Amino acid sequence: MNLTVNGKPATIAEETPVSLNYLLEALKVEQREYVTVELNGDIMDRGDFEGTTVKDGDSIEFLYFMGGGR
Amino acid sequence: MAEAGQELRFDTKLIHGGTAPGPFGATKTPVVQSSAFAYQTAEELEDIFKGRAVGQVYTRIGNPTLEGLEKRLAVIEDGIAAVITSSGMSAITTAVMAVVRNGDEILSSSSLFGGTYSLFHDTLDNYGIKTCFFDPTDLAALEAGISESTRLIFVETIGNPKMDVPDIAAFSAIAKKHGIPLMVDATVSTPYLARMRDLGADIIIHSTSKYINGTANSIGGAIIDAGNFDWRSDKFPHFEQFHRKYRNFAFTARVRKLIHKDFGACAAPLNAFLSGEGLETLALRMERHCSNALVLARFLKEHPKVAWVNYPGLSDSPFHEVAGRQFGGRFGGLLTFGLADKPAAFRLINALRLAKNLANIGDTKTLVIHPASTICADYTLEVKALMGVSEELVRVSVGIEDPADIVEDFRAALEGV
Repeated sequence: MNLTVNGKPATIAEETPVSLNYLLEALKVEQREYVTVELNGDIMDRGDFEGTTVKDGDSIEFLYFMGGGR
Repeated sequence: MAEAGQELRFDTKLIHGGTAPGPFGATKTPVVQSSAFAYQTAEELEDIFKGRAVGQVYTRIGNPTLEGLEKRLAVIEDGIAAVITSSGMSAITTAVMAVVRNGDEILSSSSLFGGTYSLFHDTLDNYGIKTCFFDPTDLAALEAGISESTRLIFVETIGNPKMDVPDIAAFSAIAKKHGIPLMVDATVSTPYLARMRDLGADIIIHSTSKYINGTANSIGGAIIDAGNFDWRSDKFPHFEQFHRKYRNFAFTARVRKLIHKDFGACAAPLNAFLSGEGLETLALRMERHCSNALVLARFLKEHPKVAWVNYPGLSDSPFHEVAGRQFGGRFGGLLTFGLADKPAAFRLINALRLAKNLANIGDTKTLVIHPASTICADYTLEVKALMGVSEELVRVSVGIEDPADIVEDFRAALEGV
C-alpha cells in the first residue's frame, strides 16, 4: 500500500490494512518507546497502537521530543 | 540489549537495565566528547530539528553518553524517561521551572538541603514564584497549605540534615486529591532504599554527585518522569501543547524541548560516564553505607559525651516506623548527632583522622561537617531551626570503610572533646 510518511511517499508490501505497531516494525521506526505517532492529523494514544489500523493512502508523521530544536 | 529491564531484579537492573551495546563490542556507552553532530544532508538535520527523526544535534540538548545514563536511570526508577543535568541543583531548578510559572506557588517541606531552600526562598521569589513551607511530618499542615495557586508539592525523602522521613505515599494521596504533582528529592534515600514511583511520586530528583556517582568524582543531577501525572488541567495550561503531542511524556517533553534547552544546564559527557560507572555498584555500596551508619549511630548513642543521635535506623527515632516501612528496613548512610556545644563539635571534627571535614555526602569515605557554621551559615536562627540545624550538631555521611575503623576514629576523637 502507498502511504505518506513524514511528508514523503512511502510504500509497504502489505495490501490490506495493518496495525500501527506492525507499521512501526515494518518501517523500522527508531526508539518506539518514545515516538509520538500522528495518523491523518490525529495524535494516537500509545495504548491504541495495536488497535489502530493503517490503510492505503494514510498519512503518518513520527515525532520525537528527544533532540532537535523546539 | 536489556532495554525493557522490567523483568530484572533491582540489583541486576543497576548493571544491565536500559543498557545498549557500545561500538566495537564495548560493554560501556563511550564518552562522546563532541559538542555537535554532523549529517550528510540538509534534509536529515531538518528532520531531526522537526522531531521527525532520532538524532543528536548539540550536546547541550542531547548526547549519546548522556542518553545512555538517562535510559538506565529511567529503567532503575521505573520511570518513563529521565533527563540528566549538570548538578543536583540544576536538576531541581530545571524540573521546578518546567512546572511553575510567574504567580504560581510551590508548597515545600521546610526540611531541605540549604541550596534548595535558597532557590525556593530567595531566587524563585525574585521571579514571582512564591514558596510556602510546611512541616513534612504534619500531613494536616500539608493539606492546609494548599491554595488555589499551588502548582507543586516538593519534599526530600530523607531531610538533609534534619533526618526526618516523610510518609511519601500519604503525601502522594493528598497531592493526587488536589491534582498537584509531587516532586521528591530522593538523593539521600537513593533508588536503593525505595523506588519513589511505587510510593506515588510524580517527578523524582537525584543529585547524582552523591550516592549514585558514589566516589565523589563528578557533579551531576537527574530528573525522572514517573509518567503518572495527568497534566490536562486548568492548573497547567502551559502543558497543553506538550500533552497534545506527547501525551504522558508531556513533562519530559516540556523539560527537554523548552526549559532544559533554554537554561542549558547540560551534564558533561565524562561526568555522565563516571556517574554511570558508580550506578553499577550502588546496591553494594548502599548496603554497606546503611549497615555502617547503624553501627556508628549505636556507638554514638551510648557515648557519654554525645547528647543525642538522629538516625532513622535507631528504634527510638520518631521516623523509625515510617522509614522502615518505606525503605524496606534500610535507613541510609546519613546521620546527625549533638555534642555539648559548638566548640565541642569543632574539637571533634578537628580530632577526627579518617573522616574528612567537607561539604558533601554519599562518598565512599566517611565525611563530617558542622552545618551551622558552613552550609547553613547564611540562615537566621529561625530558618536553621526549621532545617533542624543547631550549633552543637555534627552531620556524618558514613562511608564504606571497615566499620571498626570508623567507630575507632570517632571514639578517639571524642576522648578529646
